[in-house]
Amino acid sequence: MSGIGPVESVDSPELDGSYDVIGGDAPRLTDRWHALPPRARRAALAAGAVAVVAAGAVLLPPHPRADPAPPVPWPANVTEWRYVGLAQTTDSPTTTGYFRFAVTVDGGPPVAVRVIGAAFDGLTAQAVPEPSFTVRVGATRRITVQISVSDCSGLPLNADLAFLDVTLRNTRAIQHHSFIFGSNYSKDLSQLLHRACDTTKARPGPRPSGSAGSQNVDLS
Amino acid sequence: MRQRSLVILTSVLTTGALTLTACGSRDSGSKSDSSSTTLTIGVDAPLSGENSTTGLGIQYGVQIAVDDANKNNWVPGVKFKIKALDDKAQPATGQSNATAFTGQKDVVGAVGPLNSGVAQSMQQVFASANMVEISPSNTNPALTQGKDWATSKTRPYKTYFRTATTDALQGAFAADYAYNGLKKKKAFVVDDKQTYGAGLAGIFNSAFKKLGGSIAGTDHVNTGDTDFSSLVTKIKNSGADLLYYGGQYDESEKITKQLKGAGVKIPLFGGDGMFATTYIQTAGKAAEGDLATSVGVPADTLPAAKQFIATYKAKGYKGDYGAYGAYAYDAATAIIKAVKAVKDANGDKLPASNDLRSKVVDAVQKSDFEGISGKVAFDEYGDTTNKQLTVYQVANGAWKAVKTGTFNGS
Repeated sequence: MSGIGPVESVDSPELDGSYDVIGGDAPRLTDRWHALPPRARRAALAAGAVAVVAAGAVLLPPHPRADPAPPVPWPANVTEWRYVGLAQTTDSPTTTGYFRFAVTVDGGPPVAVRVIGAAFDGLTAQAVPEPSFTVRVGATRRITVQISVSDCSGLPLNADLAFLDVTLRNTRAIQHHSFIFGSNYSKDLSQLLHRACDTTKARPGPRPSGSAGSQNVDLS
Repeated sequence: MRQRSLVILTSVLTTGALTLTACGSRDSGSKSDSSSTTLTIGVDAPLSGENSTTGLGIQYGVQIAVDDANKNNWVPGVKFKIKALDDKAQPATGQSNATAFTGQKDVVGAVGPLNSGVAQSMQQVFASANMVEISPSNTNPALTQGKDWATSKTRPYKTYFRTATTDALQGAFAADYAYNGLKKKKAFVVDDKQTYGAGLAGIFNSAFKKLGGSIAGTDHVNTGDTDFSSLVTKIKNSGADLLYYGGQYDESEKITKQLKGAGVKIPLFGGDGMFATTYIQTAGKAAEGDLATSVGVPADTLPAAKQFIATYKAKGYKGDYGAYGAYAYDAATAIIKAVKAVKDANGDKLPASNDLRSKVVDAVQKSDFEGISGKVAFDEYGDTTNKQLTVYQVANGAWKAVKTGTFNGS
């Protein structure tokens, strides 16, 4: 059975539920169909089309939807720092050094960066000329960090695995993060410390915010 | 004419119905399953007894990677399964497990072990069989950079890799946070005499002194010890403002409890070996304020790790994925991707077993993909190029990230 409704009169002796509509010669659906006025046929066809579309919407699997946009990455996971070398300066005081870094952002929205310290209480660090700067995805920004010795007491003159403490901010979060550099930066920083502390007694200065108590602040 | 119209109408309706039916059953399955090869990835970790919380996290991290590879057909024509062996944190057991893996032809590589001391006993076995071994957790520098790593780095085994960074960084990172972050100046340093614990404690000791801190005393414990009363007395009398412990959570969770119980209210600071939920569960309130460094950044800041964490929880797997689960997943993925690279380069066919193993070693060396823990690639020593670390502190009964750091040696 096609399942499209009774095609014989309900009292037909042939109605045993087993025969096929196709090939039958008694007046059946097609006769009734052609007996309908054109307007009624158009209405029936339109209703049928609507029914098929509606059934399709229910039964067909949903079309694969476009993947949702990837979540915005945490800034520390996409920001890279690389030590480039000492900046060329002519008249820096013995207690101050200028260090060049390349900062790259690999993904997500732009990252706003602020240098907040160089690990030790006796050092202050800030990016110059602007203490805060922004790096866009795919771009590498070269920046200069000014590090000044404010207090020699307690400073290890031979820095090893020297740190730079920063805050990184994008639309996902603010993170306090340390970038740790290898021998080239440690050697250059040690030269500054020796220059400042071997020959002078540096004046006490403002304490950097340092690396203590940093937290990740989720903005989303 | 009527018949023709009837045939057309019925055909349209029948075709539509059949089309709907066909579209509704999408699960047709792959006919090539019967011709696929199955390769085994070995897993070695402590799966019972001491250290098993983190060891099970490694096992199930690999299991989820293998399930994902099979489900998503990462290597067409190749299915993967795992064979997990318990090393009980014992070097001799680890060595015999390595021998078992290398002796089984379908094992293409192994993930593990947890402990650096166990790894030392396994490296030679894997090297002799040209089989890749990737640890998600070993942090002792000598495993990749040789015993003279501090002065002259030499890679001992080309078959050994790790997705965790080394204690050279971890110890220094902890020392920096203790001295500059916590403002601690006088540390008492204890280790468990194991390769990992003694190595990490030694690096912390040296780095803390270089920063300007002093060492109030040092001591050692044995793994499996439970009574630390004499150690507690020594620490109390030393006047230390921090206890640094190189070892696993099994001992440190008891030490901190007995230390605080004796009225010594100084924080205990350790490495990734004690970064486990078990530490807090066992130590209870005594753990508040204690600290641990661990490799990588917090898993909840890695979007790609979210599905992994959800799957781990949904499956109800035992153990703790927090410390190394994502790194175990990435280690297994590196092996699976290496198999694909070898197959692709060999005319889409797997080489014979021995040839496959040695080629997988070379392919793992060239790994370069975004894993769930971040970028997965290895340097010339087999160390991960992803050198991130986090300091965690116990707050309100949970580990909370308080500082993250990234090493760039250039």
